[in-house]
Amino acid sequence: MWIVRFFQSSIGKKMIMAFTGMLLFLFLCTHVMGNSTIYLGSSHFQHYADTLHSFPVIVYLFSISLLIIVSLHVGFGLNLYFKNREEGDSRYAVTKRVVENSLASRTMIFSGLFILVFLLVHVAGFTFRDEHEPISELVKELLGGFFYGSFYIIAFSVLGLHLSHGFWSMLQTFGVNHPRYNKLISSLSLFFSVFFFLFFAGIPLYFMTGLGSSY
Amino acid sequence: MKIMATIDLTLNIWRQKDNDSLGEFEIYQLNNISTDSSFLEMLDVLNEKLTREGKIPVAFDHDCREGICGMCGAVIDGVAHGPEKATTLCQLHMRNFSTGDTLVIEPFRSRAFPVKRDLMIDRSAFDRIIQSGGYVSTNTGGAIDGNSILIPSDKAELAMDAAACIGCGACVASCPNGAAMLFTGAKISQLCLLPQGAPERHSRALAMIDAMDKEGFGNCSNAKECEAVCPKSISIRNIARLNREYAKAAFLSETKK
Repeated sequence: MWIVRFFQSSIGKKMIMAFTGMLLFLFLCTHVMGNSTIYLGSSHFQHYADTLHSFPVIVYLFSISLLIIVSLHVGFGLNLYFKNREEGDSRYAVTKRVVENSLASRTMIFSGLFILVFLLVHVAGFTFRDEHEPISELVKELLGGFFYGSFYIIAFSVLGLHLSHGFWSMLQTFGVNHPRYNKLISSLSLFFSVFFFLFFAGIPLYFMTGLGSSY
Repeated sequence: MKIMATIDLTLNIWRQKDNDSLGEFEIYQLNNISTDSSFLEMLDVLNEKLTREGKIPVAFDHDCREGICGMCGAVIDGVAHGPEKATTLCQLHMRNFSTGDTLVIEPFRSRAFPVKRDLMIDRSAFDRIIQSGGYVSTNTGGAIDGNSILIPSDKAELAMDAAACIGCGACVASCPNGAAMLFTGAKISQLCLLPQGAPERHSRALAMIDAMDKEGFGNCSNAKECEAVCPKSISIRNIARLNREYAKAAFLSETKK
């Protein structure tokens, strides 16, 4: 079957990584918009959360879809990593990388797995929580803590690193590579990395530094 | 920096009898190497010395020695074709090195490129990729009029850029994953960009990627190392084109398979 053949091929697997990566990126966009209400104050954030959860079907469908998308992204990522590791850097006595700033591309699997651990902690803390405490209070309580907050900040810097290669890599895999747009694409990769870091890591910083005391 | 007329080098060269034997590094001291000589000429001098001493010379591939055939190539201090950009090993000159340097010289390595002897590798995996579809089927007949097939100059230029690939294998050798995407991308691009190659683009993309995967090459992770070491400066734009060609062929091809 053509579709099986496509997904078994090297390019097909890459396309799954790129496509699921794109969906996760779009999810981040919606997530960051919702979370930015935190900066407006607890009542705004609580209102947003209540409104969102007044559509349980939508929340349920999104959760299931995200689970599938994340599983595919992680599963195929690991599959490709282990396949590629058969080659490995150790095949030469001396290995020198010619491309500069390839830290992000070399560490995609590790940054990715770290984000997976973060996701588990995040979902355990905020999705499967005690339903009685309002989310607007829980977020301040958890993220205001030093260790919890620091872990979040580290996780978002890792996310930024992952995206700085991932965003460009996604477009390259889709075949988007044109001299007219390449500069824009590399600028956007950097922009989104920094943007998501600032908005997401800003939340624990907001509570930890006491800026959010009037929240 | 003043370039000296001659330099003295210590060479750490991979010696391996054949694909079934275990290899190891051997150290050679080579003095008074002209900085005007090419890397391969330096190896010639070493081999003459080894022959005079009754030892077995270092086997390495070479043919045109003017950077257009794709036969030569080795990894010098961790970089395929050595430190100079956009240069094959035969066109790399010894003026790039300084006296007293120790050079580690290894064959191009990949699962799909077994070592035949010393620095010689078997690149027939590339040939099998080409055989699977990297050609244009032509029914010969009377010669057609010149310029009867119109090709815009920008397309011709892009196709020529891709056709500059000499198939040396440096892309595979330096890819952290041992992927052959740059090679296959260039070979697919040079044909699909031109009207003569366009009719078979779907079957070609499917067959060549299939052959590439079967040979045991790795998967591209967009590390861009291939482009950086390519002696012909083949752009990874060709990999993007390969991805597009393959996706179009997989989803839109009219053949049943």
